[in-house]
Amino acid sequence: MATIPTQIDVGTDYKEKYGFFVPEEYIFKAKRGLNPEIVKEISFMKKEPEWMLNMRLKSLEIFRKKPMPTWGADLSVIDFENIFYYLKASDKQSTSWEDLPPDIKKTYDRLGVPEAERKFLAGVSAQYESEVVYHSLHEELSKKGVIFTDTDSALRDHPELFKEYFGTIIPPGDNKFAALNTAVWSGGSFIYVPKGVRVDIPLQAYFRINAENMGQFERTLIICDEGSFVHYIEGCTAPIYTTDSLHSAVVEIIVKTDARCRYTTIQNWSTNVFNLVTKRALAYQDATMEWVDGNLGSQITMKYPSVYLMEPGAKGDVLSVAFAGKGQHQDAGGKMIHVAPNTTSTITSKSISKGGGRTSYRGHIKMYPGANNSKSFVKCDALLLDDESRSDTYPYNDVDAENVTLGHEATVSKVSDEQLFYLMSRGITRSEAETMIVNGFIEPFTKELPLEYAVELNRLIQLEMEGSVG
Amino acid sequence: MPLTLESLDVLQGEPDWLGERRRGALATYERLPNPSKTDEEWRRTDISGLNTAQFSELEHKNGSRLDVSSLPRGVILEPLRVAAEKHAQLVEPLLFSLIKSDRDRFTALHAAFFTGGTFLYVPDGVEIKEPIVAQHASHAGGTAFLPHTLIVAGRGARFHYLDEYIGQDDEPAAYRSGSAEIFVGEGAEVGYVAVQKWGRNAWHFGDQRARLGKDSKLRLFSVTLGGRFSKTRVEGSLVGQGADAELKSIYLASGKQFFDFHTLQDHQVGNTRSDLLFKGALQDTARTVYAGLIRIEKGAARSDAYQANRNLVLSDHAKATSIPMLEIDNNDVRCTHGATVGPVDPQQMFYLRSRGIPEQTAKRMLVQGFFGDVLDRIPFDHARSLIEAELEKRLG
Repeated sequence: MATIPTQIDVGTDYKEKYGFFVPEEYIFKAKRGLNPEIVKEISFMKKEPEWMLNMRLKSLEIFRKKPMPTWGADLSVIDFENIFYYLKASDKQSTSWEDLPPDIKKTYDRLGVPEAERKFLAGVSAQYESEVVYHSLHEELSKKGVIFTDTDSALRDHPELFKEYFGTIIPPGDNKFAALNTAVWSGGSFIYVPKGVRVDIPLQAYFRINAENMGQFERTLIICDEGSFVHYIEGCTAPIYTTDSLHSAVVEIIVKTDARCRYTTIQNWSTNVFNLVTKRALAYQDATMEWVDGNLGSQITMKYPSVYLMEPGAKGDVLSVAFAGKGQHQDAGGKMIHVAPNTTSTITSKSISKGGGRTSYRGHIKMYPGANNSKSFVKCDALLLDDESRSDTYPYNDVDAENVTLGHEATVSKVSDEQLFYLMSRGITRSEAETMIVNGFIEPFTKELPLEYAVELNRLIQLEMEGSVG
Repeated sequence: MPLTLESLDVLQGEPDWLGERRRGALATYERLPNPSKTDEEWRRTDISGLNTAQFSELEHKNGSRLDVSSLPRGVILEPLRVAAEKHAQLVEPLLFSLIKSDRDRFTALHAAFFTGGTFLYVPDGVEIKEPIVAQHASHAGGTAFLPHTLIVAGRGARFHYLDEYIGQDDEPAAYRSGSAEIFVGEGAEVGYVAVQKWGRNAWHFGDQRARLGKDSKLRLFSVTLGGRFSKTRVEGSLVGQGADAELKSIYLASGKQFFDFHTLQDHQVGNTRSDLLFKGALQDTARTVYAGLIRIEKGAARSDAYQANRNLVLSDHAKATSIPMLEIDNNDVRCTHGATVGPVDPQQMFYLRSRGIPEQTAKRMLVQGFFGDVLDRIPFDHARSLIEAELEKRLG
């Protein structure tokens, strides 16, 4: 019998399992609620230019006007007036690990950031609360002209580049939560990769939510100039709290001619978080955009990373894994919008439901008139671990282009009795066997992750599976 | 002159309960708005060109032609309106119990003004060797013709039934529907085929809905060829353990035709099986929409459901939309679905052309090959030869 090391659990009891719950200590904490004064205060605290303030105020108006989405998960329980829209944990950006305030450092120690950094990280932009407090950039990267910073600093230090792209891919009017994010955004990562530069090591940022009822509205903007390559990794973990938290991020990416961008997410919010994220990338001629998206935590996730294939030869990829346990609803998927001819896209979705959890794949393939000779393929596999759980598949396919090929395949099944029998007849316990099968099921996903993330994911799955089946 | 209460006056000789229902359905029709574009089912389906008020005259007030030689004892086969009077105890509880008249405007219109159509009752244990063929032919454009079929299969009954909807391509615009409610009793085996070949200017709204009891088997085959606009819902509810529904369809859309298909495989209990395959070929500037749902309800363990929609797009300007959906509420199931939209395989085309076969012929052969596997699933020979001949004619 292999012994499973005692490890952190996810979403059940962070205090016990993770062993951390850092007391709040804030420099500035805006009042609860949402109104133009709060928005002005946020903008003032950040010493932002006027155009940004105006954009925030306009977005607040749009947010107020837009109705809540009537499809997907039930969001009626979110109380927008009972959320902190801005917190600043320390007033100065740290440039090295040593300079970080000790309690924040302690939190990251538990999460293993420094270790990861010691290994091979180029730059870490770790987000504690709403703003990036720890930030280091590998010398080599800056020499190549790569900008990797938090989004607030980017607005200050690279105003022209910032203004050229900010809010152009996901305008505030896109949806209610994009409008909310644009009104109150804070933190997030900003990456610019110049022409022809390849960033060989993944850039990563750790996120955490740590204050009760605190919304986290980070804003990420990635620009890959012609022929460049970058892999960005975001990983999230949050301690559990008694009242609901809202996480509503916006990620905008531009992948120019011949460039390639990969964006990897391991989302592991505590199970009271509403995770409502808008992620969109534009891919130009012969460019490649890849979303690798893992959703394990949160109470409700609604997230559909999308790629707009703008010019011939563009390629989009979404690889998504969702795990829904008790009380969780993962409504995830992907969108591929074919605008230009000869574009290709694939979406692969793997979902696991257990203990009454619900996973929904929701996808959209759109091929506009003129996006001729395009190809798209969608594959969704769902695993239901018990008869309380639920799985749905809602693929929307709209083809208005000529000579296109479109395929969709989906299966829903349970852990097969034959596989279980095979493993158990070799002396493996039922629970271990099921874990092995589940890990095998999501292998197409894990093999795309950097090693430490793959290990972490396998451990998380193992913990989720423990004692849950049989 | 739209269809109104007065239009019902021509339908003489019906029992009171039916008149009551018709008036109720008409009230529903007048109350309901046209489906809106924000309604998911109608988002891709444009009915802005339809003015139902334009079609005031009803056709076939006395039912359609039935083609049957001799029937075993106890079998009832009558025009539906006649059966409503003669066999009210059988018809009244079932009519429009599967296809609800208040589902949308068009089901309400259908329930208020159905004229032609058949009632078939096959008692327990009875087998009918020869297929029963009902032909619903329209004789004029500009009319409304709404045949309705009600089929009741008793325990262990076995038979085949064909609904053929016939119109002329050069008829002016007309309003058509062709719906069937099929009750399949315990252990019964029913083959049902519907061939829709209304004229090319017709608007067609049809519902084919079956309810399958314990250990019963339904082989349903639906063909759509006619109409400028055709919307068909094919739905099977599996309510008894061991029920097995095969729902197959082919469609061939050309010119400016628009076809819409919505399907439902509703597994209410466990140990049930459904197998759906919709295959269509599109030419010219035709458009099709397929949206299907497999629903496995909570207790429906050991269900096995399959759903596929395959579209062969033969012209650069034809467009097929395919939305296969799953809602699975039980883990002990096997569900698979798939959808494809694509042109003729250029390698296959090259192969045929390199053997000297002209492009048009090669294309026809490939379409026939494409339909081949599903044509094998037509439940009885009479229907098969009819459908094959029809395809031959239209592809020729």
